[in-house]
Amino acid sequence: MDDNLLEVRNISVTFKNRYGTLKALDNLSLNVKKGEILGLVGESGAGKSMTGAAILGLIDPPGHMSSGEIWYKGKCINDAHEAIRGREISMIFQDPLMSLNPLRRIGDQLLETILTHMNVTKSEAIKRARKGLEEVGIDPNRLNSYPHTFSGGMRQRVVIALALAPEPSLIIADEPTTALDVSVQAQILDLLKNLCKERGTSIILVTHDMGVIAQTTDRVGVLYAGRLAEIGDTREVLTNPKHPYTKGLVDSTPRIDANSFYKELYQISGTMPKLDAMPNGCAFHPRCEFAIDKCSKETPQVFSDRAACWLLENEAIVE
Amino acid sequence: MLVIIFRRLGQSILVLFIVALISFLIFRYVGNPVDNLMGQEATLAQRAALIEALGLNDPFYKQYFNFIWKALQFDFGNSYRGALPVSELIASRLPATIELAVTSAFFALVLGVIIGIYTAINRGGYIANLILSTSLIGVSLPTFLIGVLLIWLFAVELKWLPSFGRGDVVQLGWWSTGFLTISGIKSLVLPSITLGLYQLTLIMRLTRSEMLEVMRQDYVRFAKALGLSSKQVNFNHALPNTLVPVITIAGLQLGSIVAFAIITETVFQWPGVGLLFINAVYFVDIPVMSAYLLLVGVLFVIINLIVDLLYLAIDPRLRDSNTSE
Amino acid sequence: MERFFKSDFFYDFLRAPVAIISFCVVALLVLSAIFAQFIAPTNPFDPASLELMNGFTPPMEPNMFTGDVFLLGADDQGRDLFSAILYGLRISLFVGIMAVSLAMVMGVLLGLIAGYVGGWLDNLIMRLADIQMTFPSILIAMLIFGVARGLLPPELRYEMAITVLIISIGLSEWVPFARTVRGTTMVEKEKEYVAAAQLIGLKRWQIMIRHILPNVLGPVLVIATITFALAIIAEASLSFLGVGAPRTEPSLGTLIRVGQDFLFSGEWWILLFPALTLLALALAVNLLGDWLRDTLNPRLK
Repeated sequence: MDDNLLEVRNISVTFKNRYGTLKALDNLSLNVKKGEILGLVGESGAGKSMTGAAILGLIDPPGHMSSGEIWYKGKCINDAHEAIRGREISMIFQDPLMSLNPLRRIGDQLLETILTHMNVTKSEAIKRARKGLEEVGIDPNRLNSYPHTFSGGMRQRVVIALALAPEPSLIIADEPTTALDVSVQAQILDLLKNLCKERGTSIILVTHDMGVIAQTTDRVGVLYAGRLAEIGDTREVLTNPKHPYTKGLVDSTPRIDANSFYKELYQISGTMPKLDAMPNGCAFHPRCEFAIDKCSKETPQVFSDRAACWLLENEAIVE
Repeated sequence: MLVIIFRRLGQSILVLFIVALISFLIFRYVGNPVDNLMGQEATLAQRAALIEALGLNDPFYKQYFNFIWKALQFDFGNSYRGALPVSELIASRLPATIELAVTSAFFALVLGVIIGIYTAINRGGYIANLILSTSLIGVSLPTFLIGVLLIWLFAVELKWLPSFGRGDVVQLGWWSTGFLTISGIKSLVLPSITLGLYQLTLIMRLTRSEMLEVMRQDYVRFAKALGLSSKQVNFNHALPNTLVPVITIAGLQLGSIVAFAIITETVFQWPGVGLLFINAVYFVDIPVMSAYLLLVGVLFVIINLIVDLLYLAIDPRLRDSNTSE
Repeated sequence: MERFFKSDFFYDFLRAPVAIISFCVVALLVLSAIFAQFIAPTNPFDPASLELMNGFTPPMEPNMFTGDVFLLGADDQGRDLFSAILYGLRISLFVGIMAVSLAMVMGVLLGLIAGYVGGWLDNLIMRLADIQMTFPSILIAMLIFGVARGLLPPELRYEMAITVLIISIGLSEWVPFARTVRGTTMVEKEKEYVAAAQLIGLKRWQIMIRHILPNVLGPVLVIATITFALAIIAEASLSFLGVGAPRTEPSLGTLIRVGQDFLFSGEWWILLFPALTLLALALAVNLLGDWLRDTLNPRLK
């Protein structure tokens, strides 16, 4: 367990509304190893982005982390989010058009970040800012340009340069390519992946796209209704899913090859429960073909460090 | 960018023509210029001569342009009361109103923005909530009531400040200023607070809600995620974006200040154009009303134009709208 | 009715103490204005009931000449202030309600026409609205008031004062209504059902009204409440300036104007009680409007 960069231990995020207390994240645990890319996949509202926000302590009120601990480099950082933001863990948001301050030159934003975190002189900071832009494939002479003069893909490159500028050990990328044109998505993902590999930076990649997961990540966590359904080596999870929900997700992903071209896609019946109408027991059981009695009564824990499903209970004991 | 400025300029001129049209209609058809220049005893021939001399038989458009042409030379005719030229009346009273309006606008803008930022950053805090609830009372208090209550407290009970007039003024050419004497400045305090308080609460509430809105934006979240201090996030990222809409509204509020100056000037017997206007309304002094409308129209159009230009100066997206995708 | 009590709207209302208190204050003031002649000890508009000897009697103290006691004191002419406030409140509320109704009818109609007919008519109405919006409504109300006085023969000026007041405030507040209704109309106009209903022979404007009015009910209600507060303040301001309700039929603003004259001589009650009534009314209506806006506008939730 020593190579764990980040450990999320049993965190819950709750917020109150008129109908009572809702759990956006429920007893979630996961870990990120040094240099690896962990994918987080799930439907919208499953808690993917919330996990990222919780790690950085950026949950918007009225929500708050009600229990659990987040450990980073062997220390609990529950009360030290501010010290690790940017310098240790950085975040990239979904919409590059909204991520940059429209009223400030990108150079100012880069310099501000570098000068805040690195103990360097202004001229050194400018040098670093230019180098940062060059690395993400942007002409360093555009330091004085405003964000609106860049296209969406270019802006996401600027955002990556900003996130990498303080040389963090972990980047949380929250759907970094969803808002971009399909043709640009792969470029940006490759860029992010390569830059992080060079620096040994880990990534938590939040996405709803199984294709991105398959291409980019080393390990993957599947979230369902604020709970972890399954986690494990990406190849292993995608080829041999243990949780019925993961199986459904994999089967419902379109593939372009001769064998499957005319086959109808699998559909998971029903929809994910709303947070204010969570069923008892396993959140997935109303939609699950394999549900047994126990599923509707008790919430399963994660068995064999792999999947939260009662079907694995006995298997786990055997192993 | 030049295109935008010229388009705005064109719109402003159009608005001015319409305001001038309304002024003209009031001047020409609500009042009766002949009756007011001549007594009842004038003969029909004398009346006809005057009508001819005033051009009242000319076609409508000619009279309208004649009105504008005269207005451009500051000729608005004579007041029905006292028969003084309207332009002279207004010129003698303009400095008082401008000094009052500028002082209160400054007071409202500076304090309003500062308190607004404070209540946004300390959202939910004890003092912030107190300020917010008090501000609701401020919005509901009519201007004249604020003035009367301030007079009661500071002039009648405490006897600290004068309750009416401008105090001693110093004449600088045609401009009379109250800024240069102690009694002038003391006289300015209560009217400025009265006039500025409503705008202050408005600007404060606006700053607060805009800032809270901006703080929800992704670029502020990103700035936080990059580990910038809350001071950097609040003042380098959230504040400039907050100020764009605040400046627009605050600029437009400057117009309201001029309008509400009518009320404040009445409460404090402040010898400005507002008091002149309200007396004109009371005594149906049409030329003064018409000239005041035109004056205020020009003022508002200029304010709107300045706000637009400020907008361009602050927001780079508007400055070179041709380069954005 | 049962639907109303079970609605989210009612649910929210019961959980907003500010809204409940504001509503009660407004209801209390409206009821006391309606039943003024039963509550008020005297009729303040009847010169015969005034006893000049009672002038300047402080609240709850017997007058030194007549021995009369007044709950809130008496003004310079010996008028019972409590009665004067009740009757003044009635005038203030009447002007406010009539002015808002005028603004609402005018705004909704112009908004419907602008959105429905479109073209140059739409352009004309909306440009007019833009220009009017650059000027504060109180200034416009004063101007209309002045023009109306200029057009009326002098002997009618006093008789018509209240009507003129209503018209000037009403005409100065129509723009927000028109803008909201126009927006909704333009959205509804493009919808398929309008064309479909036309095919079966229904008139287009009939269908439109049936679909637009329910859609704009919420926003119009919010605007009406906020405008009502503005109208009350505008009426009080105009009357205070002496270009509104006449002294023979004093509204709250007129009473405050009278009260200001006696501040320096120490008769504070003539000012204070009308001022407090006006403040309570304006504040309660404003709070209610704020709450309505937050509740009926899901975007802000």
